[in-house]
Amino acid sequence: MDVLLAIVGQFGLYGLLTVGIAVIFAATRVVNLAQGDLAMVGAYVAATATTAPFGVRTLLALAVGAPLLLIIERLLLRRPGSDGLAAMLVTWGLGMALRQGAELLYTGTSRTVAVPVDGTLDVLGTPYPAYRLVCALTAITVIGLVLLAAHRTDWGLRLRAVADNPAMAALLGTDPRRMRATAFTIGGLLAVLAGALYSPVLAVNPSMGFGLLVPVFFGLLLSRPGALATAAGAALLISALSVLLRTWLSDTLAEALFYAVVVAIAALRSRPWIGRFSAWFRRTPAPATAA
Amino acid sequence: MVPSYPRARDRRVTPAARTTALTLAATLAVTLTGCQGAALSDDDGPAAAGGPVRIGVVVPLTGPVSQVGTALRNGLELAVKKVNAEGGVHGRPVEYVVVDDAGDPANSTQLARRLVRQDKVTMLFGTITGDTAEAVGRVADEAHVPFGTAILGDTEHCFAYQWGFGESTRQMLTPTVPGLVAKYGKKVALVGSDYNYPRFYAGVAKELVKQAGGTVVAEEYSPLGQTDWQPVIGRLKSAGPDSVLSMVVGADAVTFSKQAQQFGLLTPELGYEGAPLDADFQPALGALVAGRTHTVRWSDQVDDAESRAFAKDYRDAHQWKAPIPEVAGNAYFGVKFFLAAAEKAGSGDPQAVNKAIGGLTLDSPLGKGTRFEPSNHVFQADMREVTIGRDGAYTVTRTHPMVADTTPKKGCA
Repeated sequence: MDVLLAIVGQFGLYGLLTVGIAVIFAATRVVNLAQGDLAMVGAYVAATATTAPFGVRTLLALAVGAPLLLIIERLLLRRPGSDGLAAMLVTWGLGMALRQGAELLYTGTSRTVAVPVDGTLDVLGTPYPAYRLVCALTAITVIGLVLLAAHRTDWGLRLRAVADNPAMAALLGTDPRRMRATAFTIGGLLAVLAGALYSPVLAVNPSMGFGLLVPVFFGLLLSRPGALATAAGAALLISALSVLLRTWLSDTLAEALFYAVVVAIAALRSRPWIGRFSAWFRRTPAPATAA
Repeated sequence: MVPSYPRARDRRVTPAARTTALTLAATLAVTLTGCQGAALSDDDGPAAAGGPVRIGVVVPLTGPVSQVGTALRNGLELAVKKVNAEGGVHGRPVEYVVVDDAGDPANSTQLARRLVRQDKVTMLFGTITGDTAEAVGRVADEAHVPFGTAILGDTEHCFAYQWGFGESTRQMLTPTVPGLVAKYGKKVALVGSDYNYPRFYAGVAKELVKQAGGTVVAEEYSPLGQTDWQPVIGRLKSAGPDSVLSMVVGADAVTFSKQAQQFGLLTPELGYEGAPLDADFQPALGALVAGRTHTVRWSDQVDDAESRAFAKDYRDAHQWKAPIPEVAGNAYFGVKFFLAAAEKAGSGDPQAVNKAIGGLTLDSPLGKGTRFEPSNHVFQADMREVTIGRDGAYTVTRTHPMVADTTPKKGCA
């Protein structure tokens, strides 16, 4: 039970970030390397606006984040958008600027955010910090809503269409620029939310988001572009893998093994026979049998 | 030169001549590089010529440890100001050159070399992390220029020209461990960030816990930048320790302490000592560390006129309200020790100053008769038990006079 709760807790954080980065990747084909630093921004809002109650601070973070993200997309990402690599470098620079900005404003010293919900809850006999539970459940609800939106709304349909074939989607009347702007904003907001939600659990400092980038990047690597559910699944897989390894082994060994396993999965996935195997699983008729 | 050109071109180079030329070139190269160290130390800098005494300061002013680096520089600045106000070193003013290594040892090496060669400094001071200290220590040894550090903990290597003013691991733990075992109980757990120093710290801790009649029930390490400590805390908790010695450093110290409290490991009944109790983290941890005791070399609450004057100057100069980082105090008194040695040496020659540092005994707020142990270059001085107040004051509640650490290290001579 302990392990299960740990996985859920970790998934809330990684899931929000990974689904966010996947939304951005789906619409723009850009890996947003500033995703972790956007989470840092969210955490700083939660850490500095201490006069307001925590819930309000979280909403404030989102309210501050939304126009900021739109402006960033307009100013920085619109032009190099056609070239994926250039746009990726822009996001890298954006992340660096956010880190340096935070260091200038708030210095490099870590801050903490008081836990808004005190005490522990008994989950089937295991005591667990109440806030972690609240945090994880909120995150999972939001991830669920995003997935629902992607599969049940018009916007989601268009997003998936753009992810599949941007040229065709544009021809059929989806404005790719608007799509990119909304996707970047929503994906970025998920990161801001993750940062604000998890700030009471972490130390808030300028470089905090940078460390989150690696597991999130792996999550994106293991998911299918446009299929947000696979991104959530990948985040779950990564959280589970990391928690399980660290429960069984010492942290040092677990980290080494974690990377080895993730790289192995990524390498295996690119093998053609795996693709055929999974296609067979999905019972899609293979071209050879169609003849 | 112009007329000789065609002739040289006409002349055929015989194999024998070529060998000679090559040998000559090789010899020349060897002589040149071999001489470099000697050339540097023989060079009479401005110090020897009656100019100012110059200190080269290598500190990270940017990057993850910039906060600590800035505190060190601030302490050093005030020390130089004080010494100059009192007439300098044998009548000559003291200057310093600050360079920013951003916490990267590659930079530290380059910058330290530049300070020695171009700025002709009499002494080097600074660095925060162990790897940058070692980088500058090597340069100092090559160039025969004394180098002082102020950060707590031991460096792995001892250098003939490197001197540390921060407390050694043994000086920190010798007074701490028996107290923890007596107050909280025999079972001690160790936790640290995963790099060399926390493992070294754990080694010393294990030895001292055993001596104090306790047992080490758990030992955990986690990579730097860890955000989720639940598995580690779970393992620590299941070992049921009476106290935890933590060498979890940097931002991780805050994350670990917070999560340890959230998961019910860090209760007031549990003994807790180590890096997270340092003054640097007090603003973030506040209530979590309030009421606990911590062993330090210097705190801004040390009851001594000179120390109080320094603390006041520091607060005024930098509008500082939080506890003053210990490294600032160590740097302040460390630089004063170095300059006292330069005064005693009677010349600005770095080698003579280095010799004087090794032989100097000085009374200061850090202790009566502070000096360096020749076999390990550990600064022999007082240690203090401070109690952390709710307001963040590190009040001295006990003084351990002259805590010795004479465990020899290789490479000091």
